[in-house]
Amino acid sequence: MARTGSALVIALVMSASALAAEPEVTMQADREKVGAEDTFRLDISIANAPGGSSLSFPVTNDFEVLGRSQSSQMSYSVGPGGAGVVTHVQKHTLTMRANRTGKLTIPAAVLTTPAGNFTTRPVLIEVVAGRLQAERPTRRPPPNPFGFPPGFPGIPGLDDDADPQGDPMAQEPDVPHGDSDLFMRMSLDKSEAYVGEQVMITIHLYSRVDLSTVDTVTMPKLDGFLSQDFKTPNQLMSEQRLVGGVPYREYLLRQRAIFPLKAGTVTIEAPEADITTGLIFAGRRVHKKGNELKLVVRALPPGPATSVVGRWRLSREVSQTEVSLGEPVQVKLILEGRGNLQGVQLPPLGAPTAFKTFDPEISDKPSNSRSHVGGTRTVEYTLVPQQTGTFTLPAMVVPSFDPEARKYDELRVDAITLTVKPGAGGANVVTAPGTPTLGEQGPKNQLVGGGLKSLRHSARFTAPTTELSAARWFLPLALVPLLLTLFAAAFFFVRGSVGPESAESIKKKQAKAARKRLAAAEKLLLGGSTGDFYVEVERALTSFMSARLGTPVSGLVRADLVTKLTEAGILELERQRIVQVLETCDVGRYAPGMGDVSSRKRALDDAAAAMEGWS
Amino acid sequence: MTSLVLALALAQYTPQEAQSLFVEGNDAYYKGDYAAAKERYEKLLQAGLGGPDVLFNLGTTHLAANELGPATLFLERASRLSDDDDIGANLAVARQRQVDQVVGAETTAVPFTQRVAEAMNERAVAIAFLATWWLGFLLLWLTWRRAGARVVPGLIAAALLVAGATLGGALLVRAHVTATVEEAIVMPEAAKVREFPGEAARVSFEVHAGLKVRIMETSGRYARVRLPNALEGWTEKEGLVAL
Repeated sequence: MARTGSALVIALVMSASALAAEPEVTMQADREKVGAEDTFRLDISIANAPGGSSLSFPVTNDFEVLGRSQSSQMSYSVGPGGAGVVTHVQKHTLTMRANRTGKLTIPAAVLTTPAGNFTTRPVLIEVVAGRLQAERPTRRPPPNPFGFPPGFPGIPGLDDDADPQGDPMAQEPDVPHGDSDLFMRMSLDKSEAYVGEQVMITIHLYSRVDLSTVDTVTMPKLDGFLSQDFKTPNQLMSEQRLVGGVPYREYLLRQRAIFPLKAGTVTIEAPEADITTGLIFAGRRVHKKGNELKLVVRALPPGPATSVVGRWRLSREVSQTEVSLGEPVQVKLILEGRGNLQGVQLPPLGAPTAFKTFDPEISDKPSNSRSHVGGTRTVEYTLVPQQTGTFTLPAMVVPSFDPEARKYDELRVDAITLTVKPGAGGANVVTAPGTPTLGEQGPKNQLVGGGLKSLRHSARFTAPTTELSAARWFLPLALVPLLLTLFAAAFFFVRGSVGPESAESIKKKQAKAARKRLAAAEKLLLGGSTGDFYVEVERALTSFMSARLGTPVSGLVRADLVTKLTEAGILELERQRIVQVLETCDVGRYAPGMGDVSSRKRALDDAAAAMEGWS
Repeated sequence: MTSLVLALALAQYTPQEAQSLFVEGNDAYYKGDYAAAKERYEKLLQAGLGGPDVLFNLGTTHLAANELGPATLFLERASRLSDDDDIGANLAVARQRQVDQVVGAETTAVPFTQRVAEAMNERAVAIAFLATWWLGFLLLWLTWRRAGARVVPGLIAAALLVAGATLGGALLVRAHVTATVEEAIVMPEAAKVREFPGEAARVSFEVHAGLKVRIMETSGRYARVRLPNALEGWTEKEGLVAL
């Protein structure tokens, strides 16, 4: 039976082929008015084309062909007279986009057959600026297999990971004019954000050509943001995606979470990439630049000052609530959730002063969910009790802002009571003398040095003072003795130079001249005649005495001279020495044997001694 | 003492009121209310009632509040008035918390004149100078007009005058250092130091709160600063407070 049916169909087709109609070609667009950014379809249908036919597509610079597809179908119908008619239809679909605005014409397509040419009618299209066509979501995020079914609320705060702003990848990217085969697009998951709120920045590559490698991707400068890598694929992985009805391969290049630091409109520069297309050995390297984006950053609404932005949960753990004196207690503050972990600052623990608080150890453990960055920050304090008693770690309230709910919230931990006891080795334990007590081995009251020195409990106030040496009176006071000395020296010098010479001064000068004469006699000690030597010595001594007595003494007899000397208050011993020198000179001038050097030197020394003894 | 009495009179704080204000500041500090504590101490300073104790407490309060710029400033000022160990200890804590570590500062010695000026007790040296100077000249005058033996008093006068001249020289060195060396503390959390004074200049490096720098010269709203390791650059004057 099956064989009989098949044979019947073949026979009908064969007979119908003989009755095939003449070729027919038509062309039509799916709309008459489009935007310059829109794509549209142009369908060219060919019916009953004989073998050897070829179709010439319309050629124009006014439109760009973004994609082509082809389908064919065959139909059978009973014609007039009961004859079967088989119609074979080929359909070519072009995805097109206008290159300019205006009333444009798509020229006719031409079907060339052995029987002649068949031409379609041109198609008129009105092109306006912009986009008339609503953006079509082309892909939906896959359902979360572990999520709650629709209608069931998730765990508030942390588990509702679905993006409230919608999937950014559902937005269709703009295909650049003239570069539709390979282009790069950057997108944000939201166009407005609060300071500190996460914004996901995604860079995709769209391609209709074979890609070999993406050599480098240059991210835009993200000044004014804290940023954190979210996804950086190690190898090229593509997904099929229709963009404007045209199939593309979509590659994820980078995904990064950014957190704006200040309010305002921020322009994010275009990313760039170097891409090698084609096969490995016939590749061609191209440089592509993506698109700029603008992000409106809003200041946090009026409320408490906080650096905690995101969805966070705060908890506190204490290693033990009952401890011995000196035994350390670990207190952990744990902040977990999503948001910018690096930008979060937690307030200090506020431990009672009975505890010595060491600097905390802070550890961050980042973890990313499907669309958000976040993680866990653990701030671990070590407290060492310094006193016994019951103490309270106060409750903590940290204001935070949830940008998704657009409201402030409070992260809160309750107060904890800590009891500090003297310890197992305390004073109540009685042991035999010399036996080590538990207290010696157990925890000690650790009195650790360091930290800030205590304040002064009372003050000695001093007004700001100027330096003593900078006081106005200081320099004059220092200069006065010096100037007085200089003036006095100058005065005495001038007076000594220009004033009348005093008797005392004259005496001094004469005595000085006498000493000079004695010095001249010394020159005759070795070489001069004996007489000259003793004359000089006598003259020197008499000149000296004349100067000192204030009256000439040369020519006086010895008795008169002695009288004068006595009147002048010269002592007996000195008088005798003078007389002796004068007599030595008399003897030396006339007596032989006084010319030797030793006699002369003795006479000279005696004269000098007489002068020195007087003065 | 006279100036203190004058300050108390102008401030209209009796000594008891001043002491009470000081204790209030201490109480606020121990309650953790650093803002109130600072306010009390600053009131005393504004009234001219300073001194190492007030400066120490104010600097320590800023340090407890982790405000390194003012903490270092007031503790440095206190250390100039007193060589108390506690001031040095808290100043060491402030320096330890600073972001900046000046590398190679140990190898670049502070000039001798500056070390002399810093180590000198100006008041004592000034008094010693005046005493030896005047005594030396008095002895010189007496020796000059003396009729008898003048060697010993002359030598003593000469020794006093030499000592006086040395002390006077030290005072001159200090005056020169004071006039030419101006030190300051960086106050903001971070301050950019540029290659030349101007917004367009390239940033050479960055300094942070609490760092002590030397101001070499000023130009407009910029000051050329030198670090202890001789690193130099221009930064905005408003971010510096002179010691």
